[in-house]
Amino acid sequence: MTQLRPAWDSAQHIDLISAVVTDVFKGTGLTLDDVDFIIDSGSDVLDGRSISNCGFLGALGAHHKEEARVEEDGLWGALYGVNKLRAGSSIGLIVAYTKPSESDISLYWSSMVEPFYQRPVGFNQHVALGIQAQRYLDASGIKDRDLADVVAKRWAAAAEGGQVAFDSIPDADAVLASGEGAAPLTELMISRPVDGAVAVLLSTEEIARRLGRPPVFITGMGTAMDTHSFAARGADKLQSVANASAMASAKAGWNAAEADVVEVSGSSVVGELLALEGIGVAKAGKGLDAALSDKVNRSGGALPADPVLATGLARLAAAADQLLQPQSAAAAPSRAVVHGTGGVAMQTNCVFTLEV
Amino acid sequence: MYSAPEAYPLDLPTFHSQISMPYTLTPGRAAGTFLAEMPNRRIVGSRFPDGKVVAPAQDFSPYNSDEPEALVQVPETGVLTAFTRVKGEVIGLIRLDGCDNEFPHKILADLGDLSVGQRVAAKWSDDDQGNSILAIAGFVPSADAPVGAVKDLADPAEPLGVIDYSMTLDYEHSYGPYYGRMFDEIREHGRVMGVRTSNGDDALLPPREVDDVTHKRTGTWKACADTGTIRACSIINMEVFGQTRQVPYVYAEIVLDGASTRMIHVVEIDDLETAKQKIKPGTRVRAIWTQGERKGSVADIERFEVIED
Repeated sequence: MTQLRPAWDSAQHIDLISAVVTDVFKGTGLTLDDVDFIIDSGSDVLDGRSISNCGFLGALGAHHKEEARVEEDGLWGALYGVNKLRAGSSIGLIVAYTKPSESDISLYWSSMVEPFYQRPVGFNQHVALGIQAQRYLDASGIKDRDLADVVAKRWAAAAEGGQVAFDSIPDADAVLASGEGAAPLTELMISRPVDGAVAVLLSTEEIARRLGRPPVFITGMGTAMDTHSFAARGADKLQSVANASAMASAKAGWNAAEADVVEVSGSSVVGELLALEGIGVAKAGKGLDAALSDKVNRSGGALPADPVLATGLARLAAAADQLLQPQSAAAAPSRAVVHGTGGVAMQTNCVFTLEV
Repeated sequence: MYSAPEAYPLDLPTFHSQISMPYTLTPGRAAGTFLAEMPNRRIVGSRFPDGKVVAPAQDFSPYNSDEPEALVQVPETGVLTAFTRVKGEVIGLIRLDGCDNEFPHKILADLGDLSVGQRVAAKWSDDDQGNSILAIAGFVPSADAPVGAVKDLADPAEPLGVIDYSMTLDYEHSYGPYYGRMFDEIREHGRVMGVRTSNGDDALLPPREVDDVTHKRTGTWKACADTGTIRACSIINMEVFGQTRQVPYVYAEIVLDGASTRMIHVVEIDDLETAKQKIKPGTRVRAIWTQGERKGSVADIERFEVIED
């Protein structure tokens, strides 16, 4: 993963991409020659060019290789990659990249909403997140201060991890004082878009066990999508997260509540609580305690750094790192659950289970 | 640890680019009728076979994808079910009386005066008499508004066919260290510089940190000549949107001397017949630089011209 910065002014997409593709092989014993296929995630709207991956093929290492783009978070790219392995391929490279600083990300979100009834009245990502938060807070009784504590904890965690660039680290008071983002959410309660790139190598079990670095196994995957009509979705829950999580859990044979490591992508702090409740780490309306536990979003999650379209793949990479580098031998984690999201107010969701 | 591309502290601005897309959107029967009825100050909804009423009108039920059995006139009054404020503007979800769904619209009131569940009424715009949902300026609190009823839509207007629409997106692209130096060299010194491939002496244009073919680090910087050889070309004699010069001209893929990759540029021509004779793969060409101050762009080369034997 590159460092996640509010703006990578000194690099363009291909610079960020080639940097992570070069680094992902280090310590594995593999080279690009071993890679059968490349799946990449990005957005033409954010990149400012049509079929933008065509211009990035060289940087991706895709010269004369099978390559496909997923116009969705990189976690869906990984899902595509796993299915290719199951269809007979051996080694795949998954890359997600984003430079929201190059345009106005609110237009990226607005381009997703309906043009006759919604776009003219100003309905957009922030509005949807604000309404989602109002409904959730009404139903759960959770207060502003509680939300601010979660946000502050995430920024502190990201600062400790060193992969996110900051000017300053806000405490809970600063989160509350950060100005109105989408009432009742303050600006810092909404995920901060950042630039960056992430690369992940996938291989079959047989190959993974022979490599220079210990493997992490993907044992379950699930996706689900909610209706495009935001107003018709459940008022205070993300049903599609629950469905995706159930699909992944059924395959893994254990529930998200049993995970030692949880990495979720919340488009807002309320979105994060809804995601935790959806995957089953907490009951409906009770996401706060789970959010404050030390096994959740130790990377900092999406609130301090949301590399839109790479956020879920960044969670996968962070969870894999936490499984491989336990904080203490006594508490060696063995199971992780990872969540990625896309669309206005988290319309579509993807859940992976990982094990070592 | 994190990966980072090589970076020089080049003092270059970002590259501004704009994508402006014209669209003709097709609203279909339901939305087309809704929009056509806006000047008549009637709000159109859809009634579905299961009895559900949805407004604004939709061609398919959001609940089970059924087609509507009728378009109906829905009341201008309803209930505010949720709201937020973004950049000072209040947007809420409204459930109109007799309807089953909610939809977003502007709320013309201060946030502090609002509560979930309160009665609201549509306020028609004084300015917008057109075929937009913004003919409804927004909804205002209306505690005493009587509960309205869904009615048949008498003499519905013809649905709008297509609607002109446009979307403009602005970008500030970073050059990055390699493109940055290339354009800087063009501006400062009027020369085209690439970097050597990872395994040869010829230069890649545009330059980059990693070789596209080998995915290994590229070599050192190298100035290419401003003469080269056409490797592919097409005589353009048709005017299309986005062209920056008069037809006819030749679109050419030119390998500059010292480079291994093709750069795209144009060769100006006087007439088609001579061009067909003289300009083809293998033709030698030379860059003609613009006069005056260079901007640090490929357009600092105004055009290429054929090198006569």
